[in-house]
Amino acid sequence: MTIISTPVLILGGGVAGVSAALELARRGVPSVLAEKGPRLGGRVRDFCCKATQACVHCGACRLGDLLAEAAARPEAAFRSLALAAEAQREGGVWQVELRPQPDEGEADPLAQPLAEKTTVNAQAVILAVGYEPFDPRRKTRFGYGRVPGVMTALELEAMLGQGVLVGHDGQPPESVAFIQCVGSRDESLGNLYCSRVCCGFALDMAGLIKEGWPETAVTFFHMDVQGYGPSWEEALPHMRQAIDFVRAMPGEVSAGENGPRVCFAGPDGQPRSREFGLVALSQGLTPPASAGALSEMFGLNRNQDGFLGEDAALAVSGAQGVFVAGTAQGPRGIVESIDHAALAAGAAMESLFRAGKEAAHG
Amino acid sequence: MARVCLIWVERPGLEGLDPAEVAKRAGLSLDPGGAIPAAVVTAPEWAAPPAVRSRLAGKPAQWLDLAGEVGGGPAEKRLARAAAAVARAAGRAALGTLPQVYTAQPAQTVLVAGAGLAAVAAARQAGLLGHPVILATPFGRAAQAGADDEAEEVSLLAAQLPAQVEVLAEAELRHLSGAAGDFTAELQTPQGAQLKRFGAVVLAPAGGYAPPELGLDPELAKPVADLPPEGLAGSPDKWLQAAVIAGVDAPATADAFARAVEAALALQARDFVQTTLLFSEARVASEGGERRYREARQAGVIAARVAAGGLEVAQGGRLLKWRDLLLDEEVQLRPDLLAVAGPVAAALPAFLANPVLWPAWPQLVPEGPRFSGGRTARSGLYIIGALRGTAPGRARRVEAAAAAADLHDRLTQGRATPVPSVRNTACASCLTCVRVCAHGVPRYGSDAIVCAPAACVACGMCAAECPAEAIAPPGWSNPELIAGLEAGLAKSAGTKAVLFACGQSGAQAFAELCRQGHEWPEGLLLYPVPCAGRVGMQLIMKALSSGAAGIMVAGCHDGNCRSVSGNLRARLRAGETAALLERLGLGPERVEFLHLASNQPRRLAQAVDRFVSTLG
Repeated sequence: MTIISTPVLILGGGVAGVSAALELARRGVPSVLAEKGPRLGGRVRDFCCKATQACVHCGACRLGDLLAEAAARPEAAFRSLALAAEAQREGGVWQVELRPQPDEGEADPLAQPLAEKTTVNAQAVILAVGYEPFDPRRKTRFGYGRVPGVMTALELEAMLGQGVLVGHDGQPPESVAFIQCVGSRDESLGNLYCSRVCCGFALDMAGLIKEGWPETAVTFFHMDVQGYGPSWEEALPHMRQAIDFVRAMPGEVSAGENGPRVCFAGPDGQPRSREFGLVALSQGLTPPASAGALSEMFGLNRNQDGFLGEDAALAVSGAQGVFVAGTAQGPRGIVESIDHAALAAGAAMESLFRAGKEAAHG
Repeated sequence: MARVCLIWVERPGLEGLDPAEVAKRAGLSLDPGGAIPAAVVTAPEWAAPPAVRSRLAGKPAQWLDLAGEVGGGPAEKRLARAAAAVARAAGRAALGTLPQVYTAQPAQTVLVAGAGLAAVAAARQAGLLGHPVILATPFGRAAQAGADDEAEEVSLLAAQLPAQVEVLAEAELRHLSGAAGDFTAELQTPQGAQLKRFGAVVLAPAGGYAPPELGLDPELAKPVADLPPEGLAGSPDKWLQAAVIAGVDAPATADAFARAVEAALALQARDFVQTTLLFSEARVASEGGERRYREARQAGVIAARVAAGGLEVAQGGRLLKWRDLLLDEEVQLRPDLLAVAGPVAAALPAFLANPVLWPAWPQLVPEGPRFSGGRTARSGLYIIGALRGTAPGRARRVEAAAAAADLHDRLTQGRATPVPSVRNTACASCLTCVRVCAHGVPRYGSDAIVCAPAACVACGMCAAECPAEAIAPPGWSNPELIAGLEAGLAKSAGTKAVLFACGQSGAQAFAELCRQGHEWPEGLLLYPVPCAGRVGMQLIMKALSSGAAGIMVAGCHDGNCRSVSGNLRARLRAGETAALLERLGLGPERVEFLHLASNQPRRLAQAVDRFVSTLG
C-alpha cells in the first residue's frame, strides 16, 4: 500500500483531465492524474480529423498538443490503470483509494501504470470522467443491432477514420442517412437536454463523405440544427446545398430490400419511406457510467440531467473541494472540454489558496 | 573586441601576410579553434571551407574578401591595409555579439481593459496568480456590469478582487502596441493620459445585445432583456398579442434563443397575454435550454417556425407575415408588443485599425481550435467576452480562467520562450518580419528591430521570409537549418525525398507512425520544422541541390495554423518552387505540399508512399 500526497487529484485521463493537469501546471500547482484505462486521451483518441480542404475546428488534433505539453510539464504526474474505489474527507483532505486495474498490455509512454493499491491524499479533487454515449439499443425502433446497415455515428466515425465507407451489403453505399437526437431531447427517455455536439459532428462527417465519395447522397434527419461555433454557422448554407436536410424524426427503421428502410413524416404530415445504403444514428451524450458511484463516494450532487456537479458556473460540485471538468458536467465539444478544465483548475487553485489562508490564521 | 576572432583562410593575394601580425594590429585574437562568439574570416562565404562555414553557422561572422582589400605594393602598406580592413569588419562582427538586441525582462503587470463578468473574473484570476493587475473600466467602479451581464454576479465577484488589482475608473484604452512581456498602453483617465508598460493585456469590453436589422420600429420592438414591462396585462375582452423574435433571418445563437424563451415565458405568465415565439431553428443547446423551451410550449407559447428569411415585416413590425410550414398557409400577426433577441456584441477598439502596429488585426481572433480560451494570434493579448461573441455567464468565466493561466505561464517562463536574434549588421529594416509575425514579436524600435521578450513561439516564419537572413529564432536560422540538412543527407546516403514536417501536425503524425512500427519507403529523410511556414524556397532548393530528388512539406490544414499563415505561406513557397522547377525542365512534381493534422498518420503514410514512388 503506497501513500501519495498531492494538492490536486484528477480522476479521468481524457482531454478534460489532461487539460486540467496542464491548467494546474500553468498555475504552478502540482497534480496527480489517475486514469482507469491503459492510455491517456480518452474518447478523443478515436476521433479522426474531419478537415476536407480546411480545418472544421473539431479540435480532435489538439490531443497531440496536449500530450506533448504534458510530457514537458514536471508538475503533472500521470497514473494509468488506476481506478478510484473509495474516498473520504478528513481534516480538509480527501483520501482517495486507487486500485490497480488488469493490464491490457497497451501502455502509454506518458503514464506510469499503478502497481499496487494506493491512497492519494489531496486537498482538492477534479472529476473529469467524461460521458457515456447513449446506447441506441434502448431505442429499438431505430433497428440498431437488428437491421443490417444501421450503425452508430461513432462506428461510422471509426470507419471513416480508416478511410473506409461500406454499407449494409459490404459495398460503398449510394446513400447515407443520419438520424439525429438519438437519446437526446427525448421525453420518453427523460433525456430533456440537447447534446450540443452531434449536429456538428454528423455534418462534419457528411462533409467527409461528400469529399471522399462525391456520388453518395447524404440525408440528414433532424429536429433543429444546433449551431456549433461561428464559422460553422457560415458553412451551414453550403451544407444545405450538398446535403438533403429533412426536418423529421423517423418513426421506424426496418430491413428493406436495398438496405435499411427509414419511415418518416413528410412536410405534409403524410408517411413516407426511403431506403438507404447506410443509416448512422447520432447518439447523444449521457452521464458517465460512474456518475452514481462517484456522487456517492464524494457525497456530491448531480444536476437535473444526471451529470455531475450542480453549480455549472463555477464547475463546483456539492462536496467541498470537489470540482468537475469536461463532459462529466454536461455535453460539450472537445475544445469546450479543454477550456472547461481551466474553470475547474482555477476553482481548485482558489480553494487551495483559501485552505492555505485558513491554516495561516489558525 | 576581444570576443571577435580572426579566422585566416589562405587565398590568392594574401601571400606574405602574417596572420598573427594582422590580428595583433587589428586588436583581435587569432582563431583558437573550438567555439567562438564571433569571427572575421579572410575569405568570402562561398570561398571558405565547409568546416569553417558550419562552425560559424548562426554566429555573427563577417566574410571579408581580404585579398581585394589588401591589393599590391610594399609589404608594410599591405599589412596596414589588411589590419584596417579586419578591424573595420571586426567592429561589425562585434555588434552581432551583443546579447540579443532586446534584453529587458518581461513586464509582469497585467492590463485588463473592460468591464463586466469577463473583465472582473480575469483580473481576479491574474491577481491570485501573483501579478499586479490594472483593471481599466470605462465605468465609475469595477462592480458595474455591461448590459449583457448579471449585475449581481459581477458585483459579488468585484467585491472579492485581490489586493494586487488596482481599479482605474473611467479609463479608456486609447492605444496599444507590442506583444507578450512588452506591451505599451496609453490609458486616458479623468486625471490625464498615462503610458504604461504591461506584460499581458486582456481585452474584455462591456457588451450589449445587438438587435438584428429587420426594419422594426424601435418604439415598438424592444430587446428581450427589457421585457416584460411592469404592470403589463390584457383583459378578457382584449387579449394582448406579444411576439418574440429569436433569429428569423439567420438562426439565433443558443444564448439568444434561451433569452427569447425566457422573455416568452415571462410574457405568457401575464394575464390575458398570448405570446408567439418566432424562429427559424430552435437553438436549445444551452444548459437547460431544452427544458425551458418545452416549458414555454406547455405554458401556451405558440412556437412559430419561419423559414430563414421568410418573415415579412410591415409597418415597423406592427404587422408580421410568414408562411406556416405545417399548415402551408400564410399567417398574419399584429403584435401589441414585440421583443427581439440578438447576439451579444461589443465594439472593436479603434487602435486596432493601425495597419503598422496591428498588421493582421482582422485575423487577430482566429477561429481555429488552437485559439480557444481567449487566446489570440498576438502573444500575450487575450480577447474575451462580448468582443469575441461569447455568451454571458459560465463561458466567460472559462475564458477568463484560461487566459489568466496562459498569460501567467507565458510571463513566468513556465514555457521556455525563445527570443529571435537579430543581426543588425545584416538587417535592412525592411520590416518584412514585422509584417509576417502573427505573434507580434518583432517591432521597429528607434533604429533597429527589437523583439518582445515573452512572445515568440519559434515558428521561424520571420527567418523564412527575411530577405537578408537577419532574424531567426534561436536554432532556426538558415545556416543552422542547412547545416542540419546537410548532416542528415550525409548520414543517410541515397536519400530520395526529404519530408519537412510541421511540429504541430506532420512531425506528430510521423512520430505516431514510428510508434506503430510503420515501414517508411527507402530513401526518406524526415526534417522536423517548428512550423511549415519555416520552409522557404531557399531551403527547398538547398535540399534539392544537395541530392534529394523530391521535397514534401507537411503542414496544417487551412485555418489550423498556430501562426495563422504558416501553412499558407509554405504551400505558396512550394508552389513557387514547383513552377520554377517546371521552367527549368526539372519536373514540378518534385515539390509537394500536404495538408495534414496531427491525428492523420494514415494520410501522411499514404501520401509519402505515393510521393516517393513517383520519384522513381
